[in-house]
Amino acid sequence: MTDPGLPTSEHLEHLDTDTIADLIENLLPAQEAHRAREHVKACPDCQLTYDALVQLSEDLAEEGREDIPMPADIAEHLDQVIVSESVLRASTVGVHSLVQIREEPHRHLPKILTAAAAVVVVAGIGVGVVIATKDQAADSAAGIGPSVLPSGVPSLTARDVGPDAQQWLESTNGPLLNGSATEQVCARNFASGRPNPQVRLVQPARVDGKRALLIGLQGGSPRDIQIFAVTGCDDPGGVANPFYDTTVTLRNR
Amino acid sequence: MTSSEIARIGAAGPVDRQEGHAGPVSYDQMDDHELLRLHVAGNPDTFGFLVKRHRDRMWAVAIRTLGEPEEAADALQEAFISAFRRADSFRGDAKVTTWLHRIVVNACLDRIRRRQVRAADPLPEDEDRAAELAGPSEDDPAEVRERRLDVLNALKQINSDQRSALVLVDMEGYSIEEAAAILGCAPGTVKSRCARGRARLLPLLRHWQTTRGGSEKSGVPEKAAAEVVGTE
Ligand SMILES: [Zn+2]
Repeated sequence: MTDPGLPTSEHLEHLDTDTIADLIENLLPAQEAHRAREHVKACPDCQLTYDALVQLSEDLAEEGREDIPMPADIAEHLDQVIVSESVLRASTVGVHSLVQIREEPHRHLPKILTAAAAVVVVAGIGVGVVIATKDQAADSAAGIGPSVLPSGVPSLTARDVGPDAQQWLESTNGPLLNGSATEQVCARNFASGRPNPQVRLVQPARVDGKRALLIGLQGGSPRDIQIFAVTGCDDPGGVANPFYDTTVTLRNR
Repeated sequence: MTSSEIARIGAAGPVDRQEGHAGPVSYDQMDDHELLRLHVAGNPDTFGFLVKRHRDRMWAVAIRTLGEPEEAADALQEAFISAFRRADSFRGDAKVTTWLHRIVVNACLDRIRRRQVRAADPLPEDEDRAAELAGPSEDDPAEVRERRLDVLNALKQINSDQRSALVLVDMEGYSIEEAAAILGCAPGTVKSRCARGRARLLPLLRHWQTTRGGSEKSGVPEKAAAEVVGTE
């Protein structure tokens, strides 16, 4: 009754969406594909479905290029996981070898060791306190390194902010508060706006050549210190503007 | 000891060379390869920067593939830890994002397989959590958030095989062959899952498609799309 060569929407059943989707992916056997294609050509309804499916792929591709912001709680947890993983690795590998591996910072290891042996106390405007404890001796023997305290305005690269601050803090028994009164006030103001306002480190430094202030705040646990490198603390009334931060976990607390 | 020696205590960088430079080089300014190289060399911080840089991209992949935020978070955590530990296996000629992306996809697919074994009941719909998935409202315009949620909700309603195939091929742009290799099935199976997945999604995303399709090439009219659904 119907001429299979000339199907029309009037006397043939519409194609279902699966069939049209299969047609688009070339999944239909040759004969069925031919019939389906002819039907779509002749049938405005099925043509619309066909177009809509093609459009859907394009829309999905467009949507797929969009990032989705990770919820803050999940992002924070992920950060903590990565920090723990770093701490785990550092304790496994040993800090000494890490320092040696890091060829980039051009650390002169023997020089630091010699210098550290000669270091007594820090000058500087603030109140650096060194108390050589038995623990530190044990740490040195275990390869954690000699006690090293910053002097004046040390120059360092951003990537060494964490390791160096960690070394300083591990070399003292209390907070290490250096820098001018202005810088101290600036650090305290900065801290007061943060969840954990306890200041553990204030240290002027040049970070990658830029005059900065390093501020260490108590982290989530007594061993964790969050270190911020900020600018803007030189002038009275200045507001700290962090440009780098990292978290260190002290091994001797 | 001279004062210059004292000044070097605690200093780590080649100070003199650094100061002549145009500006400070912070992790933010390093490319992915450099961050990963430093990580492999033992730097404790650079991997965290990589994670921060790419987490929204990887979150998009995970949440689309898995549907449930808890599952997506777990999968991403696994993926990033895995990447952290085997960063030295990264071949420098590839893009870091391609490498990371692949690890994330595999972690998600592992979860789906495990979930299928468990045959867990689907979790009840949590409206608040669902809205949160669209991201912070201050970040994106309402229509972007709405479209994002529509797609996520629609993807959740199709079966996970079709969803994985569609996310890989249509949304993430993998070729059929690449997707087949990742999914461990024949290219024909991937095509078929994509086709059937699109057929399932079409009625679910009709609204989404027509509201934004008004000015687009094919311009599917709302009425016609509704009829299409009626034929099923
Ligand atoms: Zn038809």
